[in-house]
Amino acid sequence: MKKFVTISSILALTSSAHAATTVDYWLWDSSQLPAYQQCARDFQKLNPDISIKITQKGWDDYWTGITTGFVAGTAPDVFTNHLSKYPEFALNGQIVDIAPYIKKDGVKDIYLEGLYTLWGRDGKQYGLPKDWDTVAIIYNKDMLKKAGIDPKALSNLKWNPKDGGTFEKLVAQLTLDQNGNNGLSKGFDKSKVKQYGLINPWDPNPYGQTGWSWLAVSNGFKFNDGLYATKYYYDDPKLAETIQWLTDLALKKGYLLPYKDTKGLGANANFVAGKGAMTTDGSWMIKWYIENAKFDVGFALLPVGPSGKRVSMFNGLADSIWSGSKKKDEVWKWVKYLGSEACESAVGKFGVVFPATKKGVSNALAAHKKNGADVSAFTKLTQTKGSTFLFPITDNASQINSIMTTALENVYLGKANAAEALKEANEKVNKLFK
Amino acid sequence: MTVQTAKPHKRFEWDRFFAWFGITLVILLSIFPIWIVLKTALSSSTTLFEGASRILPSEPTLDNFKRVLGMVSAEEALKAGGSGQSVNFLKAIKNSVVFTGLIVLGQTFFSALAAYAFARLKFPFRDQIFTLFLSAMMIPGIVLFIPNFITIKNLGWLNTMQGMVAPYILMTPFAVFFLRQFFLSIPRETEEAALLDGASPFMIFWKIVLPMSQGPLATLGILTTIGMWNEFFWPYLIGKDEGVYTLPVALQQFQTQTPQGSPDWTGLMAGAFLSIIPVFILLVVMGKRVIESLAFSGGK
Amino acid sequence: MNPSEATPEPTVFRTVNRSVRQEAITGLLFVLPAFIGFVLFYLYPAIRGLWISFTDWNMLREPTFVGFENYLQVFQDEKFWNALWITFKYVLLNIPIQTLLGILLAVAMDRVVKSTVIRGLMILPYLLSNVLVALVFLWLLDPSLGIVNAGLQALGLPKQDFFVSTDQALPTVAFVNIWRHAGFTALLFYAGLQSIPRSVYEAAKIDGASENQTFWRITLPLLRPVTVFVAVTSIIGSFQIFDTVAVATNGGPADATKVLVYYIYENGFAFFKMGYATAMSMVLFAILIIFTLLQLKFFRADQSDLA
Repeated sequence: MKKFVTISSILALTSSAHAATTVDYWLWDSSQLPAYQQCARDFQKLNPDISIKITQKGWDDYWTGITTGFVAGTAPDVFTNHLSKYPEFALNGQIVDIAPYIKKDGVKDIYLEGLYTLWGRDGKQYGLPKDWDTVAIIYNKDMLKKAGIDPKALSNLKWNPKDGGTFEKLVAQLTLDQNGNNGLSKGFDKSKVKQYGLINPWDPNPYGQTGWSWLAVSNGFKFNDGLYATKYYYDDPKLAETIQWLTDLALKKGYLLPYKDTKGLGANANFVAGKGAMTTDGSWMIKWYIENAKFDVGFALLPVGPSGKRVSMFNGLADSIWSGSKKKDEVWKWVKYLGSEACESAVGKFGVVFPATKKGVSNALAAHKKNGADVSAFTKLTQTKGSTFLFPITDNASQINSIMTTALENVYLGKANAAEALKEANEKVNKLFK
Repeated sequence: MTVQTAKPHKRFEWDRFFAWFGITLVILLSIFPIWIVLKTALSSSTTLFEGASRILPSEPTLDNFKRVLGMVSAEEALKAGGSGQSVNFLKAIKNSVVFTGLIVLGQTFFSALAAYAFARLKFPFRDQIFTLFLSAMMIPGIVLFIPNFITIKNLGWLNTMQGMVAPYILMTPFAVFFLRQFFLSIPRETEEAALLDGASPFMIFWKIVLPMSQGPLATLGILTTIGMWNEFFWPYLIGKDEGVYTLPVALQQFQTQTPQGSPDWTGLMAGAFLSIIPVFILLVVMGKRVIESLAFSGGK
Repeated sequence: MNPSEATPEPTVFRTVNRSVRQEAITGLLFVLPAFIGFVLFYLYPAIRGLWISFTDWNMLREPTFVGFENYLQVFQDEKFWNALWITFKYVLLNIPIQTLLGILLAVAMDRVVKSTVIRGLMILPYLLSNVLVALVFLWLLDPSLGIVNAGLQALGLPKQDFFVSTDQALPTVAFVNIWRHAGFTALLFYAGLQSIPRSVYEAAKIDGASENQTFWRITLPLLRPVTVFVAVTSIIGSFQIFDTVAVATNGGPADATKVLVYYIYENGFAFFKMGYATAMSMVLFAILIIFTLLQLKFFRADQSDLA
């Protein structure tokens, strides 16, 4: 029995390397696959004795595969890791601390500010940054034109949770009922909305990455006290009023596509189906919108909040090494290459994500420009200090997720009041750290 | 029966009418969602969501089918919202046929053998063993699959067909239970006669019981075929190599790729539609065979 | 589940003087291959699961023995009881309609429809995988973009939220699974119908019985062994509902469809509490055994009215 139970002995059973070492590498985003295949080809030219085998799996299956792989000793040598997942893996010794390798090879922090530290804890390092993302407004050019709104105006909006500011006004103006009345006019019938001013992804989860974090944080909310904090502030009234404002905008005023309408197929599907004039989403989706919308899409900056700033979550991915890998030296070479300027600028040319280095970013911008898309709304915020905040990383991520999903869904469906639901949820969340 | 013989014919017709009305309704309900699968498969990704509430595809295209069948370049596939990875559809069909075929044959035969013993033979611990088999049906799958995965790994069977079929090929509690119920209802006289002629239990099983049970066996065969043809999780865990991908595993590439992203709906539906066709043909052919076998064995 | 009482004594082989020992050996040999499969892929993992349920195991580190702690926690876990309650409601919504529909379909396939193609079309939904069925209905029933709501509105009826309403989500999941599984149930009943001798029907026809009467007085009573089988297996299956929930609702909205196996799965694979998840699985296992025992008692198990 013990033989099957102890991980270490399971690991001992994995076959050792052959003459030409094969390194298994997994990623989940298929649109990035061609970019990394390019990197692998370049890498193999430099290292003929190592061959890279890339496997792409959809998000859910990806993590099931990684977890079962840990248990059974069949996980990939290297895999794309996510901030919501890595602390648990690190805590359980499943991913390698690469700090010694970094030191030995003198690898420099060539990445955009903040990205490298996201992947470290107590002097240990669990990955080299590969890309990053921010959030921006995506709008339907036709609808704006019809409403006679200059797209430039979009980037000068102000928002507050009391009356919604010029942001809410614009959202109302872009909302049309079946009789063609917009949300600002007296005759507006909120029960017969034909075109919503805004389609929000709602994000019933602890991060609100594309849905509410940019509103709440611009209102002065903060998730916690930084990396690996053991206390959350979800009971902050500033978050509650933000969430309540969003909910009311949908359920009371009818300017925002209700949560239930986005839950099935997603806010993005509703947006490209022409259900609304604007949406907010992450930079990894840029290409998707351009390819899936029949109309022209534009990208604009998020509104400025009561704090006087416009802010976006700044999230990054990295590649981690599985501690059960039997060929760590070869694997490190590959990881080092993935995090190098050579690979990152090559990835940038594909224009699917923003690589973690400056050169990579300018390549990505150039690639988008060639396709006729100005996506600087996503990159601008990273250039101004204090305009981004980091993805909240703590332990207990998946349990927090479960608690927050239930609480937020109750609010979004109009079954609970934001202040009460969030206060209760926050107590449950903080209990996890005791 | 107390029905007057004067009007039986007319009542009969009314029953038929209602029956056909119901059947038509059922068929419409069955076909409609499958039509939506086909409609989605025929839509281009730019008209997909906009046309979601329409009954016909707005700009019909065969591109998605071509994409699934690997008839377009990776670049074009990417443009159409695909993964750009080629799905080797024909190879996957071949693997699915082998996977399903091996399991259906093995499982039906070995389960029938055991079911017959449980129904007819007396041996020590028979009832206890059968009870154990039955209770295995009630173990939630989540308990089973990690240990089974490790077993297959320790046997060195990861990425192999034998690893994929191993847990199913010798038995499932469902198959044993199902066949035992049917064997119990076969009249004993024929078997007794054969026994008096000196036939061995295996000969009786092989030459008499199996041919007499063609209906239930074919039914079980159909059920197992459909179940295994669609089985995703196990072959997905075991067969990580493209060479052994079954159809559902290969089609998985069209599903959600990012947490907040969208699946490649059009490719997914095209693949799904293509994968229904072989089972439907099989069902019709096997269905015919069930009826013929019944006519042959004198059941009708 | 008490086969000693249920199974008629197999006297066949004894009547011709074969030795008890010989018959025992033959019987064991017949069962052997299935038994190997059973031990390897059911018994062994189940015993291992039982052991895990007494440990604290996050899958990534070695398990530590905690005795009955997980079980004590199960009994105090409000969410567990809630999930069990939701599962019960689901089974009640699912089983009666599915079974009834299965019988009706089977009788129609047996007595009315002659074409195998039409028979095939009647059970078509069963040919789709669970996951695909859930995805398709996600499309059809979407409150915003779904074609069903477009149809309702065209008829002047109010829009329905289906999967995304806390009240409708569970019945919708049940409906979707009935839609897919009625074909499966029908195939089982159909096989049962085949074992009813045609002579019985002919006799009824001569007596002038209508289809309706034939169904209630002949078909249904003679179907009892199959009905037992269907009831037992489909209730077991229904208690373990997972796929549709995982794909279409993720247990939501606001936990409205968080059925037991989904909750178990969440604990095991999202929270990495494998010991706790396994303990809950064992409780579910026990509940299913009790349920099955009761059913077999209630239906007088394996006694066929024919044989």
